[in-house]
Amino acid sequence: MKSINRFIYRDPKQVGLNAVFGKHDYGWKFELIGLLLFTILWIAASIMFFSRPQFAQFKGFLPGPTFEALLGSIQESRFWISVFASLRRILIGIFLAAVMGVPIGILVGFYPKFRSLSYSPIQFVRMISPLSWMPIALLLFASFESAVYFLIVMATICPIILNTTIGVLNINPQWIKMALNQGANNFQLIRTIIIPASLPYMLTSLRLALGVAWIVLVPAEFLGVSSGLGYLINDARDTMEYDKLMAMIIAIGFLGFTLDRIIQKLQTAFSWSWNE
Amino acid sequence: MKGDKLLHPSRRSFIKKAAAACSGLFLPGVANALSKGETLRLGYLPITDATPLLVAHGLGYFSEEGIHVEKPVMVRSWKILTESFLAGKFNMTHMLFPIPVWMRFKQNNPVKVLAWDHTNGSAITVKQDSGIYNFKDLGGKQIAVPSWYSMHNLILQLGIRSQGLKPVIKPQSAKIPKDEVNLFILSPPDMPTALLGNKIDGYIVADPFNALAQVKFNARIMRFSGDIWKNHPCCVIVAHENFINKNNVLIQKAINAVVRAQDWCNNNPRETAHLLSRDGEGYLPFPKTVLSKVFEYPDYDELIHPEWNVARIGFSPFPFPSATRFIIEQMKHTRVEGDASFLKGLHTENAADQLVDDSFVSKALDSMGGLNQFCNCDYKKPYTREEVVEIN
Repeated sequence: MKSINRFIYRDPKQVGLNAVFGKHDYGWKFELIGLLLFTILWIAASIMFFSRPQFAQFKGFLPGPTFEALLGSIQESRFWISVFASLRRILIGIFLAAVMGVPIGILVGFYPKFRSLSYSPIQFVRMISPLSWMPIALLLFASFESAVYFLIVMATICPIILNTTIGVLNINPQWIKMALNQGANNFQLIRTIIIPASLPYMLTSLRLALGVAWIVLVPAEFLGVSSGLGYLINDARDTMEYDKLMAMIIAIGFLGFTLDRIIQKLQTAFSWSWNE
Repeated sequence: MKGDKLLHPSRRSFIKKAAAACSGLFLPGVANALSKGETLRLGYLPITDATPLLVAHGLGYFSEEGIHVEKPVMVRSWKILTESFLAGKFNMTHMLFPIPVWMRFKQNNPVKVLAWDHTNGSAITVKQDSGIYNFKDLGGKQIAVPSWYSMHNLILQLGIRSQGLKPVIKPQSAKIPKDEVNLFILSPPDMPTALLGNKIDGYIVADPFNALAQVKFNARIMRFSGDIWKNHPCCVIVAHENFINKNNVLIQKAINAVVRAQDWCNNNPRETAHLLSRDGEGYLPFPKTVLSKVFEYPDYDELIHPEWNVARIGFSPFPFPSATRFIIEQMKHTRVEGDASFLKGLHTENAADQLVDDSFVSKALDSMGGLNQFCNCDYKKPYTREEVVEIN
């Protein structure tokens, strides 16, 4: 009982992440305007910098050449193979991280002892750039492909654990008291209250993980793989073809946006367990 | 019912596939131990230094020798290449000559140099309007090298010292006096961009990053490395000693194929450029226009020693001991970041003997009628040479 009492969180309405990924939705018009503003900013900045004669080599950063390159790319099979390869890496990596991270997060949130125990290791690992694991990844895993998965898992598991923990800590204490009153044991508590109630947080953690996974993908594809959007970015850098580089950036942005939107929809679907 | 029949095999095969996919995830040793007859696994970087390995694969020379070979795997940095090699991902690869020296004598990792991979193939590149024409013009400048343990660092510092200048390793913001040259590490793909953006005054690196800068923004070659040290070795073919001892036959066949490929490259420079480029087999991400420049003979006015008659990149397999000794000797005088004290106690001749195993390449050359077709050398004594270094 003692552990449960300590576990009850004082203020269930935590801001922080809610402020960023809150439920308020002003609709697609605002999103479109945001996208337009962002595009104008890009056009203005790139014209300001890269249309100077001494930067003639960097013209590729301008919107014109970028979209031309993107149009060329989407007609090549190489591009689609790369899209598929990168998506697979991202999804498998995040899936593996979630399979490990979510249960850990629930345990960390639920048991105060475990929380204290895991605090320092998690904080320790969290700060390490996943890319410093590269030599270990190469040593430990048979194929380059699995080494890439490992790097993505190392990058995404901490945000997943931490967010799931926050979700568990933020559950309305009334619900837990009620369940305890009715004689629920820990297992029942986790199954019927903790997991459903922290589901939105878990999905948020996946959204965060998605961003981090794309970040590590480009350097992770330095390893011996032969396709991927990060791989194509590296190719473009090797050959100073910045229009192709920008085209891949646009493609990654688009894919990331779409994936995030899918999880967001899931999140709305599961918001019945929100504090109401 | 019919549907059932159809479904089952596919489900089973899916499970099999899934199991196979998962088993590959962990424990490299187990999978390798199970497969009989070693496979040759080659790693390379996207530079023309990898040419002989790629051509030997592309022309099917490895297969003709009857060895199992996987498609060579490209990685993007020397660090990843060496780490993957040490982790057993690759069992044969090309490396800048100083790297195996460092591996064997500093890291005590018994690697062996089996043959030269190529000769020359690097250059110091500056901006067209930079006013840097000779080594003495480098005083007070910032020059990028790809790695401390590289032929590039070694040759550059040789040139700098010969002009009474001092190579230093300082932060880029530090003031560099006129008698010093500041060196720092930059990854090769970033070098042309950094030069164009005026972050550095020049760089020394393997092609095609010099050719790329020439084609893209009309950069100027200050000096080809082969114009400083005539037909110097650059990358070498390395393998691990344990692997060599266990797979003598495989190594011999692989070296045979590499030597044949080198001969082919010397005779077919244009076809080589095409084969490697993305317009050909796509081993390297570069277009043919850039690679062709590497495999062309340099312009007369780009050379200080046109009478040496050296190719921009050449292919000569035999590891002349004189060159190995010269490199180890020079490494002792070359400034690097980090602890290089292992070089001090190194007995040059013993080290050279330990590092290089020329038995395989000698056999390969014998079967091809000797070294003569790769020379440029004294026909009476083809297996010795005098190192020619001339700096202006």
